[in-house]
Amino acid sequence: MRQRRTVSLVIITLLAFGALVGTLVVGNTPQLGLDLQGGVSVVLQPPKGTPKGTIDTAIGIIRNRVDALGVAEPQISREGSAVVVELPGVKNQQKAIDLIGTTAELRFRPVLGQIAPEGASTTTTTSTSTTSTTAAPGASSTTTSSTSTTSTTELKTTTRANNKADAQVILPSKDKQSRYVLGPAGSIGKDVSTARATVQTTGQWVVDLTMTSKGIDNFNKLAAICFAGGTTCPSVGSGGHGRVAIELDGIVESAPEIQTSSFKRDQIQISGSFTGREAKDLALVLRYGSLPVQLKKQTVETVSATLGKDSLHAGLVAGLIGTVLVLLYMILYYRILGLVVIAGMTIWSALNWSIISYLGVHNGLALSLSGVTGLVVSVGVTVDSYVVYFERLKDELRSGRTMRSAIDSAFKHSFRTVVIADTSAFMAAAVLYLLTVGPVRGFAFFLGLSTILDVVVAYFFKRPLVVLLGRWGLLQKSRFVGMHTTVVPETIRPGLRGTTP
Amino acid sequence: MSLRETGTRLYNGETEIDFIGRWKRWFAISGVVILIGLLGLFVRGLNLGIDFKGGVSWQAPIGHASVSDVRTAVENAGVVAPTVQTLGTGGVTQVRVQAKTVKDNAKVEAAIKKVTGSTTVSHTEVGPSWGSEISHKAVRALIVFLVLVSLYIAVRFEWKMAAATLAALVHDILITVGIYAVFGLPVTPATVIAFLTILGYSIYDGIVVFDRVDENVKRAGASGSATYSDIVNESMNEVLMRTLNTSITALLPILSLLVIGSLVLGATSLEEFGTALFIGLLSGAYSSIFIASPSLALLKEREGRWVAVRRRLEGRGLASQTRLTPTTMAAEAGDGAAVTTAPSVARATIQPRARKKGKRR
Repeated sequence: MRQRRTVSLVIITLLAFGALVGTLVVGNTPQLGLDLQGGVSVVLQPPKGTPKGTIDTAIGIIRNRVDALGVAEPQISREGSAVVVELPGVKNQQKAIDLIGTTAELRFRPVLGQIAPEGASTTTTTSTSTTSTTAAPGASSTTTSSTSTTSTTELKTTTRANNKADAQVILPSKDKQSRYVLGPAGSIGKDVSTARATVQTTGQWVVDLTMTSKGIDNFNKLAAICFAGGTTCPSVGSGGHGRVAIELDGIVESAPEIQTSSFKRDQIQISGSFTGREAKDLALVLRYGSLPVQLKKQTVETVSATLGKDSLHAGLVAGLIGTVLVLLYMILYYRILGLVVIAGMTIWSALNWSIISYLGVHNGLALSLSGVTGLVVSVGVTVDSYVVYFERLKDELRSGRTMRSAIDSAFKHSFRTVVIADTSAFMAAAVLYLLTVGPVRGFAFFLGLSTILDVVVAYFFKRPLVVLLGRWGLLQKSRFVGMHTTVVPETIRPGLRGTTP
Repeated sequence: MSLRETGTRLYNGETEIDFIGRWKRWFAISGVVILIGLLGLFVRGLNLGIDFKGGVSWQAPIGHASVSDVRTAVENAGVVAPTVQTLGTGGVTQVRVQAKTVKDNAKVEAAIKKVTGSTTVSHTEVGPSWGSEISHKAVRALIVFLVLVSLYIAVRFEWKMAAATLAALVHDILITVGIYAVFGLPVTPATVIAFLTILGYSIYDGIVVFDRVDENVKRAGASGSATYSDIVNESMNEVLMRTLNTSITALLPILSLLVIGSLVLGATSLEEFGTALFIGLLSGAYSSIFIASPSLALLKEREGRWVAVRRRLEGRGLASQTRLTPTTMAAEAGDGAAVTTAPSVARATIQPRARKKGKRR
């Protein structure tokens, strides 16, 4: 028993400092939230009843746009039904806000040519197309190779602002391996009724596309042009047919070759060397295009970098002073036991810092101002568990127990109290975390984390340390533990300890 | 009793304050405060921030400009009926402009930058429906939390303790809402969340007391030698120093946030957090002592078992009658061990500190 306690003490100390050293060596630091480093935060909300897949597509679109902005560490997450976009350190804040809020459109454009990605060493390229559009079912779907040659001058990718439905544009493919020169859109998202990915008897994945009864006319007009392979939709392969690009928000998702001049509205099939995942993604894109989700901006918040820095500074200074005051009070009141509080809080801080840094780097957990506040508050909560233990210890000593038995008994009883109390505090944090949105969750998260650490440190560190201090006789003089009454010396009647004095 | 003596007694857990017997006084004090608060709520309402009502807010260091300079500038930029105020007394003074809507945000930001000479402006825009959404979420979180905590305490201890805790929490909510209404303090999401979290924390104190009551009831209550009120009172006195210390240690960091973070360094969001935490914590500390425990005693004294105990002890003239006549702090001259020489026999027999081995759990 004695050994096990010492072992637990050593292990948790090693663990805490090992984690801290590891964190410092790897260079992990807590990820600062937007309110502490400045940036833009936008909360968007889709209309009620929007399917999950559609929202996911919308999030994907936002992610693409944000990536194009070159923001260092964007955070895009779903919280409940809301989509929270956080762009720390973004320079042109207004541009970012406008960009996030606009609705994406799905367009079918004729492919005029295929060129190398922007900035590639050569501007002339040969590329292979692997998709085709056929009249389904039964029609043979052949995979064709297409070669296209472009001029030697570097062509710029069309900017977002210039990407209009009726303009000729140059847009990148989804895999960014090539770019397409595209003509004006012949058909758009609202022409689409629905789409779904299905697997053929051959095991091949295809996407079945259904147009609306109005939309099929637009689509067939485009299909006829491309099937003929004229100048507005040139032939790209041996088949002599042109291709139609499916563009969503400035990205070409797929560019199948048209194999029939006219389609029935519910008999369009896109086939190619799809994996199941790719087919499903394409179907999702088409469905999204049919009913683009109108994300409504609920809140927009921009924080200047200086304001963020000031807040962080104020939070840290206030937190440090608060902690120092609490620890001073503990030393004045509990003397040697006060040192136990300091040791325990050091372990607690080392673990906390390591975990927060780790989650910051690997899970994108951001330490916001509310998080800092949560941590500062949790200092008080954590120290409370020491107070409960020490007061209980004094109770036991006053009742005439020896130090040794008082330490064990006090821990048993106070730990029960601490666990119950921490459980209720943790429940509060958990409920807040699960049921609220926005940066306020940070507060709850850090409070909850600290509560768990409190129980861990209490059991594995505080308990064995106090036991050892008792063994070493450091607590024998009553004034060392902050008591006026005398502690029963260990040597007197050890066999009768615990009985009525 | 001298101050020093009081301190010593407090320090050693030997106070004999009658918390339960004076329940009418505590309830009356809280009742009055709550009544004033409710009056304030109906007359003035809550000072809800733009996060709840929807609106726009800009913030920037004020530089050499005055409030009226800023007001003129933003009005010229097309902001209708702006509220302009300065924030923070220490560090850099910030100016905050709030309005219901804005047409051209970029223009307003440019105007503020020009008049204050600041290079950056922070800006918040909240849609009108968002506020009701987060309010609903907060209320839902509160209800779920109250239910969970009640269930937890009911399972861990008993339902009457859960009811007493619930009474204390509802008390805290009413008091805090009242104070915010009366003083017109701004209510922001930070305020609401900080307050909800502090509720979880304020149960802490209550649980410490209840845990001790539970222990004392099992030890001394079974013999029928003390009334329930006496046991609660004794337990309260035993853990009084603990309650004070936990409250002080919780209060110190929060005070530091409030005073140093917001007043000295001028971080307004820390002020919002700090104020809510401070009020919540004070109310929580008060209610765990003066509302939760008396409520528990009142509930339990109605149980047949405890009625019988009281009747028997009263018949023998042994009950301390704390329920009826408030006893004052017992200050026996030269009384070193207050508990054992206390006049009430009931008290003497509880003696939670003199433990018998066989009765320990």
